[in-house]
Amino acid sequence: MPIVRLRSTDMMTVAAQLRRSVERAPEFFRRAPVVIDVSALPDEAEINLAYLLGQLQQMGMIPVALRGGGPALRELAAAQRLALLADAPVPETRVTETSSPPPPPSPPPPSKAMLVTQPVRSGQRIYARGSDLVVLAAVGYGAEIMADGHIHVYGTLRGRALAGVHGDKGCRIFCRDLQAELVSIAGHYRISEDLDEAVRGRTVQVYMRDTALIIEAF
Amino acid sequence: MARIIVVTSGKGGVGKTTTAASLAMGLALRGNRTAVIDFDVGLRNLDLIMGCERRVVYDFVNVINQEAHLRQALIRDKRCEDLYILPASQTRDKEALTKEGVGRVLEEMSEEFDYVICDSPAGIEKGAFLAMYYADDAIVVSNPEVSSVRDADRMIGILSSKSRRAELGEEPIKEHLLLTRYDPKRVERGEMLSVDDVLEILALPLLGVIPESQAVLNASNEGIPVILDEKSNAGQAYRDAVARYLGEDLPQRFIRPERKGLIGRLFGG
Amino acid sequence: MGLLSYFRSARPKSAQVAKERLQILVAHERQMRDAPSYLPQMQRELLAVIRKYVHVNDDAISIQMEQDDNHEILEVNIVLPEDGAGRTKTPELRGN
Repeated sequence: MPIVRLRSTDMMTVAAQLRRSVERAPEFFRRAPVVIDVSALPDEAEINLAYLLGQLQQMGMIPVALRGGGPALRELAAAQRLALLADAPVPETRVTETSSPPPPPSPPPPSKAMLVTQPVRSGQRIYARGSDLVVLAAVGYGAEIMADGHIHVYGTLRGRALAGVHGDKGCRIFCRDLQAELVSIAGHYRISEDLDEAVRGRTVQVYMRDTALIIEAF
Repeated sequence: MARIIVVTSGKGGVGKTTTAASLAMGLALRGNRTAVIDFDVGLRNLDLIMGCERRVVYDFVNVINQEAHLRQALIRDKRCEDLYILPASQTRDKEALTKEGVGRVLEEMSEEFDYVICDSPAGIEKGAFLAMYYADDAIVVSNPEVSSVRDADRMIGILSSKSRRAELGEEPIKEHLLLTRYDPKRVERGEMLSVDDVLEILALPLLGVIPESQAVLNASNEGIPVILDEKSNAGQAYRDAVARYLGEDLPQRFIRPERKGLIGRLFGG
Repeated sequence: MGLLSYFRSARPKSAQVAKERLQILVAHERQMRDAPSYLPQMQRELLAVIRKYVHVNDDAISIQMEQDDNHEILEVNIVLPEDGAGRTKTPELRGN
């Protein structure tokens, strides 16, 4: 379940950030139940809950629960028929995080790219955390390579390649022979079936231009 | 409420995925809203047999882990609009499946579909266990061959003792036998167990006999469930099996060798 | 019976052999299936105890649980190794 984690009491800013997240993946949020998590804020923080709920609903989400918050806020939430969750951290499924500007700091700049010299086979998953990924061999069907930075594949790319998995839209994928099942930059993806035949089997780069994923042959 | 059907066998390579794909297609072609789930996490194949491997974005494990919604992961078949495929994850292992997670997803699917078909992995480990745990019906697939029959019997024992229905003391899972890769000529020569031999040992109602057929390999090569190959014996046999599952009473058609004219009749005995 | 079928039936058909093997095996396995789950462990432990005194093979011990309406019979069958005289002792323990 998506969790909206508040880092700011400025609901206008929060709503604006949320709207940007939703625009990126409208299907994902449509009629999605969401938890509002205020546990990162001090208990006495003043939050315009009614405004936030209205905004979430306008964006198509269904607010279902509140996590954290002081007694006053929790009472308010209960009155709005939200479930009250214990003030425990939830790892894993968080999909959107909102905070006051500036936006969340990106991971520290990579010192060096991760280098893979062996073929990546079906079922294998390689993740270059906080860096670029360079694969010198082929990436087979059913294999998955991911990087927080750019991805370079010098063999045939038949599996899945996901660059900028932490949301950096400036990341790119470079590959010598594109046969991929899926390519993705910062969560924007294209699957094999939707690949233009003009780029299949070609040497390409994949990048974002505004909100569009561009696959371009060299 | 959907009827949950597990296609299972114990032994690998007997035709579970081929069967799951064809039964799902057959039920959907008759207008039933049908979904078929690949439980073989780490070794997915259903997407290939269904010909939708190029459309996989999210998978069963993503849905269980709530990383994706069910509707994002379901792939709608291009040939039949009532059929959906939920692929397995290739990069995870079967530990990624949990009883609670599978139960939750099946419950959600139950509300949208008439039939949910669970394509079990081979073996009797976690994936196979979870594929059958919530089932209402089981289709036990076996070849007329000793190791496959023995494993089928083992699986029948597990179905009747380890399923949720067994645990809750409800009406047991309804079991059906589907005999695949049947070669009537070899049966006639006494080189292969006959339908009756297998039925005598396993004592399950017979859903159908699928003859050994080149059409099955051709179909999987092309990513088309063999039931869509209406000219092939195997395709017709699957159609009959679907009809029988839905309650029609049809004779078994492909259990005797085809006679080829007078010469065949004279020497075939 | 014609000449052809005479030759055909000269030795048992492999399918017939398969069926008979399966019938025996499946019957055996079904019996094991209903048996209590501690049986294999008990079998291993018994074997360990016996081995303190006599050297026996892994398959020298067989345990079966039989059940009828009123009582259960636990049958433990231990085959001791043949001694110099070629005798085989097969003591049988039975208990309810």
